[in-house]
Amino acid sequence: MTRILFSDKLDHCVEKWRSAGMSVIGPVQGESLSSYAEVERSSDLCFGIVLPDRSLKELFFPQTEPMLRYTIKKNEIDTADFTAPTSPRIIFGARPCDASGLAIDDPLFGWDYKDEYWFQRRKTSVIVTIACTNADDFCMCTSLKETPDSTKGSDVLLRPLDKNRGWVVEELTDRGREAFALIAEYIKESDETPLPIAEVHEKFNLDTCVAWLQKPENFDSKFWKEISMRCIGCASCTYLCPTCHCFDIQDEGDTYSGIRRKNWDSCSFALFTMHTSGHNPRSTQSARWRQRIMHKFNYFPGKFSVNSCSGCGRCSRQCPVDMGITETLQEISKL
Amino acid sequence: MTETIHNAQPNIYKPAIMKIVARHDEAPGVRTLRLEFQDPDDHEAFKKTFRTGMFGLYGVYGEGESTFCVASPETRNEYIECTFRQSGRVTSALANADIGDLVTFRGPYGNRFPIEEFHGKNLLFISGGIALPPTRSVIWSCLDQREKFGKITIVYGARTVADLVYKHELDEWQNRPDVDLVLTVDPGGESPDWKYRVGFVPTVLEEASPSPDNCIAVICGPPIMIKFTLISLKKLGFDEKNVYTTLENRMKCGVGKCGRCNVGSVYVCKEGPVFTAEEVSRMPAADL
Repeated sequence: MTRILFSDKLDHCVEKWRSAGMSVIGPVQGESLSSYAEVERSSDLCFGIVLPDRSLKELFFPQTEPMLRYTIKKNEIDTADFTAPTSPRIIFGARPCDASGLAIDDPLFGWDYKDEYWFQRRKTSVIVTIACTNADDFCMCTSLKETPDSTKGSDVLLRPLDKNRGWVVEELTDRGREAFALIAEYIKESDETPLPIAEVHEKFNLDTCVAWLQKPENFDSKFWKEISMRCIGCASCTYLCPTCHCFDIQDEGDTYSGIRRKNWDSCSFALFTMHTSGHNPRSTQSARWRQRIMHKFNYFPGKFSVNSCSGCGRCSRQCPVDMGITETLQEISKL
Repeated sequence: MTETIHNAQPNIYKPAIMKIVARHDEAPGVRTLRLEFQDPDDHEAFKKTFRTGMFGLYGVYGEGESTFCVASPETRNEYIECTFRQSGRVTSALANADIGDLVTFRGPYGNRFPIEEFHGKNLLFISGGIALPPTRSVIWSCLDQREKFGKITIVYGARTVADLVYKHELDEWQNRPDVDLVLTVDPGGESPDWKYRVGFVPTVLEEASPSPDNCIAVICGPPIMIKFTLISLKKLGFDEKNVYTTLENRMKCGVGKCGRCNVGSVYVCKEGPVFTAEEVSRMPAADL
């Protein structure tokens, strides 16, 4: 016997969660891009999307986030903190690669200095992930040794039944169990079998690539120049990436009052590393692309024992010049 | 995941408020500010943490924050001094601030020069131009407990006589019998009354020929000076393990999150900014 949540009860669940004070967030088709956004009823959720265009990252690390409000009077500076919202929320229908992206960034936001903007949201969010039964040509979780039903970073895993009838429920954490206790009346015992998970073909051999990246002499390989020739440095890959975490800090306001913000930034930009003197350690696009690949598969795992990539494939899917992590690592496997 | 919180405040991006209590023009466009904490708790936290070599983010609300070293020594932690060249938005705002004005400081961050390990050793400081401030923090930290160290030699050069910073302190070191100061300016940078050396730092260093025996070298300067000075030190017989330097990368957060200070796998803000030449030699040169 398995525990089933039938789709026709989802609207009641959304109501239950909302009346318990939780905002309900899920995959939504926007005018141009799909993303994870708050909904009021279950019919607003789009479960047919293979993967939302925008990643789940932005709900934990927003594109722009106010941190401090400053007010300057004569001989006095008043600084007030902005804190991340404390109200609970449930993310219903996250994809496994997006959920694991959050788990990947936890150690980065937490080493020594804890970024409360990230952890406050992590603490108040219940992540209900739906295993993938469909994949597209860009999906590459299996190449990262992940699976379309990975539970990393999730509080509950749902496995879809056929004909969109509902999901088999697997509660993974106490937080997940608490949220699902609120909708216990809508969960039925039944011996349904969920749909098989999507077949995602391995696109490259990760171990081969990582071994190549770890060889110091390959840092200066001419490969980097060749592979990144067509990169236009638009940063789409880094912005859509569920694990890219680089940011800038900027003040918005004038001399007397304003807001200090944390904004997404990207290693694709030349100004990212430019010194005051004009010296730029990563002055070419190839140096910047090398940094991105090295950071994800060599440096970051060296620090935090996990690759900074969950295999969502957005970098390739959305790249205007068709060069993402997949294309790069496929080429590296051939070297 | 580590759970340690260094900062007493929950918001790790919130700076301390500082009052400018003194300022001094060092060279054209280069200014030193002396800052005092306004909140005693911030000051206590600073005194507990600060060791020579660490850096901070100095800021003016409305303009932003800039990263410089703490130029004052750990032996004088009642205040913070920073020395900077006016070049962008934040440094212009800092340069335009008056005595009595309030600015911000976030830090101190990073690692430090392990000066306890230098006890009983000879010290050789080599510095170029605007890179004297980080070296000066170590120099005074050692001079303030002079008896713990052997011979102290300082080699300092700038492009022109006008570009030498801390001129009043150079005079003081020049007159101390327990410090050997070798001053130089680049060829063409000398003034008619210049009575010291003319030549690039590595050349002058080789002429001065300090002994590598029981000696620690601390070098700081523009990348090109560091490159050639390291070659000279090698020629003089210095072991890379006994040569320290500090990397000055662009930073925004200072706490290992914003991603821009990385050199290879190294987060300069957390694992640095102080490294031995041996550690630097293991970093990818093209990323420096």
